[in-house]
Amino acid sequence: MSAKIKAAAVPMGLIETPFYPRLAALSRAKSWIGWAGYISPLVLDTVEFEYFAIRNQATLFDISPMHKYRITGPDALAVVNRLITRDIRKVRDGRVGYAMWCDEDGMLIDDGTVFRFSQTDFRLCCQEPMYGWLMDVAWGFDVVVEDESDSIAALSLQGPTSYSVLKDAGLDVAEMKPFDWREVEPDLWISRTGFTGDLGYEIWVPRDHALAIWDRLWAAGADWGLRAIGGQALNMVRIEAGYIAAGVDFQPVHAVMRLHRGRTPMELGFDRTVAFDKGHFNGRRALLAQQDAGQRFALVKIDIGGFKPADGALIYHRKRTEVGHVTSGIWSPTAKRNIALAELKAPFGISVTTDLWADVYVHEEGVWRHKMVAVVIETKPFFANTRARATPPRAF
Amino acid sequence: MSKPSDLTYDAVVIGAGHNGLAAATTLARQGKSVCVIESRDGIGGMARNAAIAPGVVAPKMAHLLYNLNPKTLKELGITAPKSVSLPTVSLADDGRHVVIQGDLVIYADGSAHPEAATFAALHKRLTKFAALLGQMSLKTPPSLAGGLMDMATLQELAGLAKLGIGLKRMGKKDMREFLRILLSNAYDLILDDFADAPLAGMLAADAVRGAYAGPRSPGTVFSMMYRLGNGGDVRLPMGGMGAVADAFANAAKLAGCDIRTGCGVAQVIVENDTARGVILADGSVINARSVLSSIGAFQTMQMAGVQHYDTEAVRRLRNLRNKGTVAKVNLVLSGAPDFVGLDAKLTAGRLLIATSATYVERAFNPVKYGDMSNAPVIEAVIPSLSDPSLCSDGQHILSANVQYVPYALAGGWTPAARQKLLELTLDRLEVYAPGLGRLVTHSEVLTPLDIETQTGAPGGHWHHAEMGIDQILTLRPVNGMARYGFGIAGYYLCGASAHPGGDVMGTAGRNAARQLLKDGVLA
Ligand SMILES: Cc1cc2nc3c(=O)[nH]c(=O)nc-3n(C[C@H](O)[C@H](O)[C@H](O)COP(=O)(O)OP(=O)(O)OC[C@H]3O[C@@H](n4cnc5c(N)ncnc54)[C@H](O)[C@@H]3O)c2cc1C
Repeated sequence: MSAKIKAAAVPMGLIETPFYPRLAALSRAKSWIGWAGYISPLVLDTVEFEYFAIRNQATLFDISPMHKYRITGPDALAVVNRLITRDIRKVRDGRVGYAMWCDEDGMLIDDGTVFRFSQTDFRLCCQEPMYGWLMDVAWGFDVVVEDESDSIAALSLQGPTSYSVLKDAGLDVAEMKPFDWREVEPDLWISRTGFTGDLGYEIWVPRDHALAIWDRLWAAGADWGLRAIGGQALNMVRIEAGYIAAGVDFQPVHAVMRLHRGRTPMELGFDRTVAFDKGHFNGRRALLAQQDAGQRFALVKIDIGGFKPADGALIYHRKRTEVGHVTSGIWSPTAKRNIALAELKAPFGISVTTDLWADVYVHEEGVWRHKMVAVVIETKPFFANTRARATPPRAF
Repeated sequence: MSKPSDLTYDAVVIGAGHNGLAAATTLARQGKSVCVIESRDGIGGMARNAAIAPGVVAPKMAHLLYNLNPKTLKELGITAPKSVSLPTVSLADDGRHVVIQGDLVIYADGSAHPEAATFAALHKRLTKFAALLGQMSLKTPPSLAGGLMDMATLQELAGLAKLGIGLKRMGKKDMREFLRILLSNAYDLILDDFADAPLAGMLAADAVRGAYAGPRSPGTVFSMMYRLGNGGDVRLPMGGMGAVADAFANAAKLAGCDIRTGCGVAQVIVENDTARGVILADGSVINARSVLSSIGAFQTMQMAGVQHYDTEAVRRLRNLRNKGTVAKVNLVLSGAPDFVGLDAKLTAGRLLIATSATYVERAFNPVKYGDMSNAPVIEAVIPSLSDPSLCSDGQHILSANVQYVPYALAGGWTPAARQKLLELTLDRLEVYAPGLGRLVTHSEVLTPLDIETQTGAPGGHWHHAEMGIDQILTLRPVNGMARYGFGIAGYYLCGASAHPGGDVMGTAGRNAARQLLKDGVLA
C-alpha cells in the first residue's frame, strides 16, 4: 500500500510576500532565503551592483517579512512605554522612534521602530515575532494588540535619488524630516526611515495595494537608476551605518537557551535609548543594577587594518589575551576601509581601548593564513553623508 | 494613641491577620513606628473567632495549631493562650477507630494496633527530615543571583551548606531516603508500609490538608513533612483560634503598633519606584517609609499597580495556583454528641474522616471538575468539650474543615448547593455519631468563595497560594520574588503566600519584617 501525501490545509515551505511576483521576475541570481517564514531575496542580480545602487542611486527592498504590530486604545502610550526602554512621550505624533525592549533581567528581546499615529495608536515594527510578548506586556491595560505582519506590505526605498523617485511618482514628501511619518495618500503611509544611514523612505500599504505601489515606483524610478535589491547588499550598508542586527550583533534573549547570552542596551552601546526617569518599564530595575555594577560587555565599531573582511575574528589584547570577537565585518567599498562591529568583554572597549588586535584568517585557494591586525575603536558611523538629513532632500 | 495622619510611619502593614501582626511586631520591637490597617472590623483574618449563635463562640476558620513555633512567639513577645495537645482519631467504618498521639498508635478501644511499630519508625524518620525543613522555614529562601563572588550570596550559601551538613549528618542511608521521597507522592510512600486503612488515611489527609492536591499528587510528601516541622503535635488553643490572634495583636500593641480596623487599603502609594504609604478605601492617606502586605501576592501587586511590575512577574503572579479546596462548616449543637466507640477524651480530640488513602484520593477527584466530594475528608473538633467557656447553656460547637470543595462550583454557589454541602457533611458525621444531626440548632457553611469574600484570601486558599513544589521555597510565591521584597523598593510581602506559607504560625510575617530590616530599608 503506498501512502500518498495529500495537499495539506496548511501550506508547506516559505510564503510568498505580496511583492514576490515582481521580485521573481527580476531575480537573475535565484538566490533566496527564508526570512520570518517568507521567501526573500539575498541577491537579485549581483551584490556589487546592488550595493552601489544603494549608495549612488535608489533601491527597493521588500521589508514585508518584518513583524508589525498595532497597539491601540486608551492605554496605548502606557503600554508602549512599559515595553520599550526609551520615553515614547518624547516622540511626537507622526514621528518614528528607534527602540529597544528588554526582559526582566534587562536583556534585549529585540529592537525595532515605533510609529506613533497618536497617543492611542502605535505600530511596532521588528524582526522577531512579538505577539505573545506584547499580549503579556499589555495585560491589565486597556489596549488592543493586532498582528499586522501579514496585512501590511512594506517597501524600503533607499539611496540618494529616493526622494526624486517619490516625487516623480507623485508623492510629495519634501517637508518630511528624518523619522517623520505621514499618510501621503489614503492608505499609503510613508516614513523617512531606513536601515542604510542614507537618504531613504519606507512605504506602508495594505497588502492588496502592494503591486500597484511597486509598479508606480518602478515606473518613476527608471530615470533615477532604481534597482531592486536583496538582503546581502543591505547588510553591508547597515554595518557602514553602524546599525546592529538581531541574531548577529546581539542574540534576542527569548531565542537563546544558554545562560548569560543576553545583552543589555548599555552593553550594545545604546545607553541613550534607556530613559530611567520615565517611570517603570520592563527590566528597569535590572538595568539600574547594571548601571551600578558596570556593564559586562561593550559592542564597538572598529577599523581593522588591511582589507580582508574579518567577520567572526577573535580580538586580542596585546596580541595575547582573548577579549572578544567581531560580530559583523566587511570591506566597505564606500569608506575604503575594513570595518566591523565587535563585542569586547569589559573593561575592553570601555576603559581599555588600545593595543587591540584582530586575528584575521584568510583562505586563498585551499591555503589558510592568519595574521594579527591592529584594531582601532571608532565612535562615529563609518558612513555619514549630509544628504541623509537634508530637508527638503536634494535631487540626488 | 493614633497618630495624626501627616506623620510618616516607618512602616504600614496591610492586613491584621496574624502574619501582618507578626510583621508589625517584629518591626516595632526594633523601635520602628508601625501602623497596621485592617479592612474588617476585627483583627485575626482567617484565625479569628466569631459569635455564630447566641452564647456560642467558634473559631471562624482555622481551629487547630500544627506549626506555631515557640521560638517565634518568644521573639515577638507573644504570650500565647493555653493550649492542649489533642489525640487524633481516624474514624473507621467498622468502628475500629485508630488513635494517634505523637508517634503512638492504638485502637480507640485500647487494643494494640498492628502497625504501631511501623508508624513509629515512619514518624521518626519524617520528623527528622521535617526538622531540617523546619530550619529553612525561619530563613529567607536563598538567592544565588549575585554569583559566587558576592558576599551576601556566600552567606546564604553557608546557610544552605548547613542544610547540606544536616543532611550529611543523617547518614548516607537517611540522606538517600530523604532525597528519594522529597518530591514524591504521599500515597506511594504510605502504602509502601501500611495497609490502606484509617491510619494510612490519616497520613494521607494530613499530607494534603488545605491543598489542591490528592495524596497521589507529586510533592505531597514534602507537604506532609512540612507539617511535622515542629514535631507534628496538634494543639487546641483555649479561647479558640481567635485567642491566638488576639495574643498576636496584644504583642503588637505592647510593642507600640497602631492597629486601625474597619477601613482597608485601596492603593499603595509609589513614588520613584519606592513605596511611600497607602490610600485607604475612604480616601485618607497614610504616609510611610515602607509598606508590608499580608494579602495575596497577586492582590499585593494590584494594590501597587501592575504598571510597576515587569511583564514576567505579572505573568507568574497571574498564573499563581490558588484554588481553595477547604470549606468550613460550623455546627452549633444543643448538647454533646455521641461518637460510637469514643470516650469523652477521644470525642474531644481531632476527629478525622479519611478512612483510607484511597478515600482521600477519591475525594479529590470531583474538585478537578468543579464538583464537591460526595464523601469528603473531614477534620472536625469540638473545642467546647475542652474549653467550656466557648458555649453557654450546655451547647457545643463542632468545627469542621471539609475537603474537597471547589472554589468555583459548577453551577455556582446557590443556596441549594450550600445546603447540599451541609447535608453531605452531616451525613458523613452521622455515620460515626448517629443522631448528631438532631442536635444541630444552627449551622454556618463557608465555601472557599465565602472565605475569599470574607478575608480577601485569593481563591479562599488556606495558604493564599498552593504549597506545590513549584510554589515553595525559592519559588514562593513566584520565581524572583521569594525574598519578601516585592519589586518596588520598600514594598514587602508578609502573608501566607510568602515563604514558608500558611498555617497559624506567623513565620512569614516575622521573616518578611526581618528581611526588610536586613535590606536596610529603614536604615
Ligand atoms: C477553612 C480554613 C481552615 C483553616 N484551618 C487551619 C487550622 O486549623 N490551622 C492552621 O494552622 N491553619 C489553618 N488554616 C490556614 C490559616 O488560617 C491561614 O494560613 C492563616 O491564618 C493565614 O494568615 P495570614 O495572616 O497570612 O492571612 P489572613 O489571615 O488571610 O489575613 C489577611 C488579612 O488581611 C485583611 N485584608 C484583606 N484585604 C485587605 C485590604 N485591602 N486592606 C486591609 N486589610 C485587608 C483581611 O481581612 C485579613 O484580616 C485554615 C484556612 C482555612 C481557609
